[in-house]
Amino acid sequence: MRYLMTTKATDTAAPDETLYAEMAKFVEELTAAGVLLATGGLEAGGVRVASSGDTITVTDGPFTEAKEAVAGFALVEVRSKEEAIEVTRRFRKIVGDGESVIQQVFGP
Amino acid sequence: MIDASLPPEGVRRTIDAVWKMESAKIVAGLTRMVRDVGLAEELAQDALVSALEQWPESGVPDNPGAWLMAIAKRRAVDHIRRSARLERKHEQIAYELEQRQPDGEPDDVLRLMFLSCHPVLPTEERVALTLRLLGGLTAAEIARAFLAVEPMIVQRIASAKRTLAEAGVPFELPDGAELTERLSSVLGIIYLIFNEGYSATSGDDLMRPELCLEALRLGRLLAELAPHEAEVHGLIALMELQESRSAARTGPSGEPVQLHEQNRGRWDRLLIRRGFTAMLRAREAGGPPGPYMLQAAIAVCHAQARTAEDTDWAQIAALYETLSRLLPTPVVRLNHAVALGMAYGPEAGLAVVDSLTGDPTLRDYHLLPSVRGDLLLRLGRREEARREFLRAASLTGNDAERAFLRRRADEIPAPKAPTFTLWQAARGFLARDDFDGGTARSYGQTLRRLRRSLGDELPLDSLTADQVAHVFRTAWGEAAAATWNRHRSAVRSFCAWASLDDLAAGLDRRAVSPARTETIDAARLDALWNLPDVPLRELTLWRLLHESAAGVTTVLSLNVEDLDLDDRRARAGGGWVSWRSGTARLLPDLVAGRTRGPVFLADRRSGPARMPAQADLCPETGRRRLSYERAEYLFKRATIPLDPAGAGYTLRQLKPRG
Repeated sequence: MRYLMTTKATDTAAPDETLYAEMAKFVEELTAAGVLLATGGLEAGGVRVASSGDTITVTDGPFTEAKEAVAGFALVEVRSKEEAIEVTRRFRKIVGDGESVIQQVFGP
Repeated sequence: MIDASLPPEGVRRTIDAVWKMESAKIVAGLTRMVRDVGLAEELAQDALVSALEQWPESGVPDNPGAWLMAIAKRRAVDHIRRSARLERKHEQIAYELEQRQPDGEPDDVLRLMFLSCHPVLPTEERVALTLRLLGGLTAAEIARAFLAVEPMIVQRIASAKRTLAEAGVPFELPDGAELTERLSSVLGIIYLIFNEGYSATSGDDLMRPELCLEALRLGRLLAELAPHEAEVHGLIALMELQESRSAARTGPSGEPVQLHEQNRGRWDRLLIRRGFTAMLRAREAGGPPGPYMLQAAIAVCHAQARTAEDTDWAQIAALYETLSRLLPTPVVRLNHAVALGMAYGPEAGLAVVDSLTGDPTLRDYHLLPSVRGDLLLRLGRREEARREFLRAASLTGNDAERAFLRRRADEIPAPKAPTFTLWQAARGFLARDDFDGGTARSYGQTLRRLRRSLGDELPLDSLTADQVAHVFRTAWGEAAAATWNRHRSAVRSFCAWASLDDLAAGLDRRAVSPARTETIDAARLDALWNLPDVPLRELTLWRLLHESAAGVTTVLSLNVEDLDLDDRRARAGGGWVSWRSGTARLLPDLVAGRTRGPVFLADRRSGPARMPAQADLCPETGRRRLSYERAEYLFKRATIPLDPAGAGYTLRQLKPRG
């Protein structure tokens, strides 16, 4: 089963060299284990497209509730929810304080 | 204190998840320390038990994998100390321990993979052991995935570990020529696991589709460990691309949907992209493309076509042609014919298909008449096409497929004028009351063969001597003269009854020579016993036939409860079959804890459509007795390299000289 892990933005200082190295190693390991299917970071803000009746409203970011914005994602292929949690736990230990959400992906 | 966030059930599931993620690394590291994969797994299991005991109290540790490894390692060190103290000095022990620390070398996992797929093991044991050691699956999970019972899987795993220990298989990476061969065994096992899951279309049990993901995981793991092997990436590409179609392969009510009719919008683009990437890595690795790369390249062609009509069939046909040189199996050649038919028109395809109808291994393969029917239909030869679809429907064992083929036949209007068909004629002929039982049975066999090969619906007046001769060559070309003559006289009798011209005209009566069963000489026998990769069942059967000098039918009819392993004999019919040490070494492993039922079992369980008699069913595995035909076929195939004539030997030739 697939899970999408999304990570919210934090306002801590920019990531240092150690964190980059640890993350690179983590990503490499997960890829080798066939777990990580896709991952990426997301720009802050972005563009919001809203529809209401016949009207489409396009708004450029940044938006006020920046803390709730998703800053990165990882799509993982695992055998159980527990495995998804375990992967996320390891990820959180590397990146420090903050919050990630995991949701099962259905389809295509 | 119980971890507040996790109830005990949650802890257990977390442990299970951690175990599946970490066990391969742990077992691999331990195997390098203790040099015995069975012992390594026991030690790892001990660590798992400790986790199950301690984690509900203490909470899950921060680094659960390292925790498990540390416990297992401590046990391993204790074990080495204990066993070494008896024979060696302390300094030596200390030195050895230093040399044998598990430092998590990634190569260890690769070594473990080569070990669990070692050719010394029968295929089904390689599969079970690989899923167990590399996938971290329990015996119950493996059993569910393979529709088998748990004790059988437990037994397979135990037997595999024993064989590896007894054969002294080293925990090393093979090199040179051996590497190629061993790697192809690993790839073969991974693909087999994948196909086991992929071919299960029922989807009732989630464990079977899970096998595909397990195989993909193993493949991706292998790719990181052996990144320079083109075929590894080829296999991954093939699996990713096949898996990308999994959602589109079945319709709303579970019926199979053929590739060209699939909704390509439901193909998983992510997996397709991963497949393409793997394919690029395979090309970068260099070398001439192997069978997996070629099959992946074919899958790439399909994945690249936005609609079925856009498919580059010429390219696919060219790839199949190359593949059929490397892997000249009838199925590959049939697929080649399909591609040719799509690329260059039905005549081109039909020419290749017709050349396959004489292949004995394909004589009951339903896809052959199905493909042929398709090509005939496109050529406007509708009545022939209709009969081929019906014949294909009668040959398939799958209900959904049978319904599909019947539907295709029904779409073609049957001829208006009532025809007297082969089936009607055969029924009338066999209903005569002047045959005795033996003759009726024998003639029945002949006519069943004709019907299966030519179709029930064939108008009797269109039956030609050429067609009959073709069926005879395919079905009985290799058979004993007496068999050939028996079927020949059946055809003559049938023709006389039906007032047909002599359709046996093209069939010569064969001289029956008593000296036909020449025994195999000592040097070749010796080579036979040392053939690589012979499954245990075959080896035991051959040994037993040779040592007992008993008839093939007698030996195949043996049951486990008839065996007297101590006295090396078995009750058979009115007498005894006895054997010597060669068989005695093998039989216990083959019986492997079974208490009843046939000694020699078929590879698969029989489908409900062809349920054998109770006496021919193993009550423990549900598999049926190995048939003479299958045993003969396997022997013939295995002995082709030994036979100077290149034809392979028959089981009867195993009898000792004199």
